[in-house]
Amino acid sequence: MNDRVAITGLGVVSPCGLKKETFWANLKRGESFVDNIDRFDSAGYPSHIAGQVHELDHYSHLSSRLVKKIDVFSHMALVASEQALKDSNIDLDKVDKDRVGVFTGNALGGWLFAETELRDLYLEGKEGVSPYMASAWFPAAPQGQITIYYGFKGYSKTVVSDRASSALAIWYGAKTVSEGKNDFVLAGGMEAPITPYSLLCANSSGNLSKNNLNYKKAYRPYDLSRDGFVLGEGAGITVLEKESSARKRGSDIYGFIKGIGFTSDGYHYARYSPNPDSLEQAIKGCLKDAGWDKGEVDYICLDGEATVMGDYLETLALKNVFGKNLDKIALSAPKSMFGNLLGAQTALDLTATLLSMKHSIVLPTINYENKDPYCGLDYTPNKAVEKEINKALIIARGRGGINIVLAVEGDSPLF
Amino acid sequence: MALKEEVLNQIAGTLDVSAGELKEDQKLYDSVGVDSTEMVELTVSLSKHFGVAFESNEITKNSTPLEITAVIEKKKQG
Repeated sequence: MNDRVAITGLGVVSPCGLKKETFWANLKRGESFVDNIDRFDSAGYPSHIAGQVHELDHYSHLSSRLVKKIDVFSHMALVASEQALKDSNIDLDKVDKDRVGVFTGNALGGWLFAETELRDLYLEGKEGVSPYMASAWFPAAPQGQITIYYGFKGYSKTVVSDRASSALAIWYGAKTVSEGKNDFVLAGGMEAPITPYSLLCANSSGNLSKNNLNYKKAYRPYDLSRDGFVLGEGAGITVLEKESSARKRGSDIYGFIKGIGFTSDGYHYARYSPNPDSLEQAIKGCLKDAGWDKGEVDYICLDGEATVMGDYLETLALKNVFGKNLDKIALSAPKSMFGNLLGAQTALDLTATLLSMKHSIVLPTINYENKDPYCGLDYTPNKAVEKEINKALIIARGRGGINIVLAVEGDSPLF
Repeated sequence: MALKEEVLNQIAGTLDVSAGELKEDQKLYDSVGVDSTEMVELTVSLSKHFGVAFESNEITKNSTPLEITAVIEKKKQG
């Protein structure tokens, strides 16, 4: 029997909620949680809007002694991890912690901590630099902090692959479960890019929306007047285990990780190839890996970069792969509501997709007002719709031409 | 404030522990589980606060607050 990799716990820290119930309730409303960035003077940046996490401290149970040693992306990861573990009902006193792993994805590392220490280095010299700098900034810091906090010693890894980071982290974590290397895995992503330097770097990519005055409407994937994505911050953590383990524990199952498609454009370090072939191959590869026919897919959670070329190429790839089948496939980019969390993008996309499956509701792509004839699919504009979702794909594209597609199926008696 | 109290306050403040968790004659590792990175932070903090320079391993996680006080007192006396 195929012992599938089940998702049994969800934890989320996001601009639209710091627990899964709030996250879901707010997403269903189809509203924007994008605001002006006001935690530092961002007025001089071409794009100074983002989906921001509020009241993290209120939801955190970490000691101040630990918090001062870590960057906010690790803090968010720890909060999300606590939620996911509680949600999964795993008894941490009974698990073999040598067989619990942590797989995290993020693109940038802990820049708030790093920028502050670099400033102190130049102002005060080496004596001004915190001894925690080395362990606070690097992208694998959240993985380390989660394993230390809980005493997990299983096979763990951090993946850095731009906006596809958490997609790969979740996949690799699932593989260690299916191959018997871990009994449980905490897998997901975290990103805290709303800092002076990170915002500067993101702006220099040219891919951020500059619609600052009308910020609630700024993130508008597939719309004719789209001008780029909006940054978001947060963390999403899932608990993965074999289906047999979950059933034995009597755990609720949100769904299963079923397959992956993984290609590279091989074209340019920053731009997509003008030919969507590689993305198409990733989609086809994912379907094949999952053992699905293209007519079986119910929903696709889209990459939704909201750049002119990004959305056009993604749409073209979908048309080329699915053809007429697209009439029956629901499409949407819920991240239009809370921002693009870069390396943590797929962690939240997966959470949103699993909750969509649970509630049989397709979340909307908001701010869709003007049809682009070069896109023109039904992206579930502006309002959530009811639909049973059993088989879903999640698309994540990264700079440099990274194409990842994950297949997720629901926990249904049919499967 | 006596030097000993000042040292205890500075250790507690730097490590972000309550003064009650520290025992003046107990090793820092045993009383508050100080790690090596925290010791770096503490060494820098004490050095700046008291205006003294420490040699490598002059104060460690196996030092007690009393021992640290004695080291600082000796340095301040020249």
